Amino acid sequence: MRMRLKLKTVFVLYFMVSLLGLIYALMQLGQRCDCRDHAKSKDQQISQLRGELQKLQEHIKTSQLSKKTDVPRIYVITPTYARLVQKAELTRLSHTFLHVPQLHWIVVEDAPQPTPLVTDFLAASGLTYTHLYKLTPKDRKLQEGDPSWLKPRGAEQRNEGLHWLREMGAAAKGKEAAALEEAVVYFADDDNTYSLQLFEEMRYTYRVSVWPVGLVGGMKFERPVVEDGKVVRFHTGWRPNRPFPIDMAGFAVSLRLILTNPQARFDGDAQMGFLESSFLQHLVTMDDLEPKADLCTKVLVWHTRTEKPKMKREDALQKQGLGSDPDVEV
Amino acid sequence: MPKRRDILAIVLIVLPWTLLITVWHQSAIAPLLAIRKGTNDGTETRHDTGPATDSKEYCSQDKDIVEVVRTEYVYTRPPPWSDVLSTIHVITPTYSRPVQKAELTRLANTFLHVPNLHWILVEDSQRRTPLVTRLLRETGLNYTHLNVETPRNYKLRGDTRDPRIPRGTMQRNLALRWLRETFNSNSSQAGIVYFADDDNTYSLELFEEMRSTRKVSVWPVAFVGGLRYESPKVNAAGKVYGWKTVFDPHRPFAIDMAGFAINLRLILFKPQAYFKLRGVKGGYQESSLLRELVTLNDLEPKAANCTKILVWHTRTEKPVLVNEGKKGFTDPNVEI
Repeated sequence: MRMRLKLKTVFVLYFMVSLLGLIYALMQLGQRCDCRDHAKSKDQQISQLRGELQKLQEHIKTSQLSKKTDVPRIYVITPTYARLVQKAELTRLSHTFLHVPQLHWIVVEDAPQPTPLVTDFLAASGLTYTHLYKLTPKDRKLQEGDPSWLKPRGAEQRNEGLHWLREMGAAAKGKEAAALEEAVVYFADDDNTYSLQLFEEMRYTYRVSVWPVGLVGGMKFERPVVEDGKVVRFHTGWRPNRPFPIDMAGFAVSLRLILTNPQARFDGDAQMGFLESSFLQHLVTMDDLEPKADLCTKVLVWHTRTEKPKMKREDALQKQGLGSDPDVEV
Repeated sequence: MPKRRDILAIVLIVLPWTLLITVWHQSAIAPLLAIRKGTNDGTETRHDTGPATDSKEYCSQDKDIVEVVRTEYVYTRPPPWSDVLSTIHVITPTYSRPVQKAELTRLANTFLHVPNLHWILVEDSQRRTPLVTRLLRETGLNYTHLNVETPRNYKLRGDTRDPRIPRGTMQRNLALRWLRETFNSNSSQAGIVYFADDDNTYSLELFEEMRSTRKVSVWPVAFVGGLRYESPKVNAAGKVYGWKTVFDPHRPFAIDMAGFAINLRLILFKPQAYFKLRGVKGGYQESSLLRELVTLNDLEPKAANCTKILVWHTRTEKPVLVNEGKKGFTDPNVEI
């Protein structure tokens, strides 16, 4: 009798205990675990250490990468001209470029000789640079009061940059020549805005790579339309029938292509909007374009323009001979 | 005797179950425990609006992977945090418009060079937007993301002719309040507070100049007040005695928002000091805060006794979007 009873209690006990255990387990799964109680636990320490380790590894990777010489070099050609906001524009541009490994900045001034402002600025920038200058002939230059789109700007300066690259390419030997084989050339105006990711997108360009540009052509962005990995047409709101309806900031050219096509240059007399086409049509067909930025679906560069600062009071003071100290560089 | 045997039997039965439960508890919960807490130079996100705490509270296995997952494109990171340098808390109000992402991108590219920088970005919006959230996370900067919407009747209406509604005031005040709630006066880490608008241009030297601020430091700003630059007037003794401006030089502090920095201790010491919201004449906004904090005599001139330009009040043109038309020409899902 007692034996049977005992068995019953045993079973009942087992049943109760396992039921309780199951309920407990189910409750635990559904809830947020109150991890604060385990704040001092070894596991948090381990995850913290893991995090630190990863950060240190990243740091090593970064410092290695910035000294890395085996990524293709990017030559950035920037035409610039003296105006009030020039130093500000170049300053914030340099801040972006300082983050990009293996970047060589070619600054071409629209001036008869190098100006002290740009010379001193480049020397203090910390970047690898080449300082050139080329004066735009008077008839091609925009006059005061001309709308900005009247004449294409920067053509002579960009051509000067190309000329320098070609001379350098011809003189290069050995390892340097090999490095130039993979280099890329990008035309960056000094008032646009560039994300860091853009430079990594363009770094591996075989011929000409393209991507969307924000805030240009009267639209939020212009872009090449990609089908089956190839550019088939361009999505632009203005004159889409140009050979290359793409902004200067929307493409990069491999240095090799530039060196093997010595006749390719920007046509300073080109019609409005045809400056880019005048250069690209010597180099590549639409079929050969390499789409970047996630098959041209991401905007990594913006065609920002900076307002001309209002100088009414300054002008009034200058008339009275009380203008601000011209020795203070702005 | 049988009773004892019963008890023994019961104990023997229950024991393995309790052991099982404890062991299971330990092994199941432990891997779920790894929380990635923001350490001193990790990203600190404080949420000012709403009780929504994000998935940090959820213990999941992925959280022990560093949340700053960098793609191969972003080679940079801010300089390592230093225990010696004072923290620069940069307060930037921002609002949605086509150039916003571009402005914040190039601003971030500048800030990534400055050690010990803490960016407090305050959106003029009802909710924190995904654009800004994502941008901040991808930069790797030490940041705090806040938001407060300026009520419609306070917002600037298209043009800037109505000076009674200074833009960004509520956002800056929110950031000041956040600082006061987060830091107490006994905090050992020194801090400097700087108001940086998202369209200006800042040199790296500027941040090093402001780091030594004891109370309030000042310097020239380019392209403000219709001049090449406005500047404080500094006498031979190195003290500020006036303002070299044309527009109302008799303001208590005839200086632009970008032309001064305040020591955090002073902000905490005077918890009532905020930017005045209403009834502020054009150009007097900066004075409305500074006069509660400091006198002219206490100002510290920087930038070689206010003779160098280290910050430019640039303004970005509003992009012409005529070709978008009424229905929009471009894919609205692409973020610009």
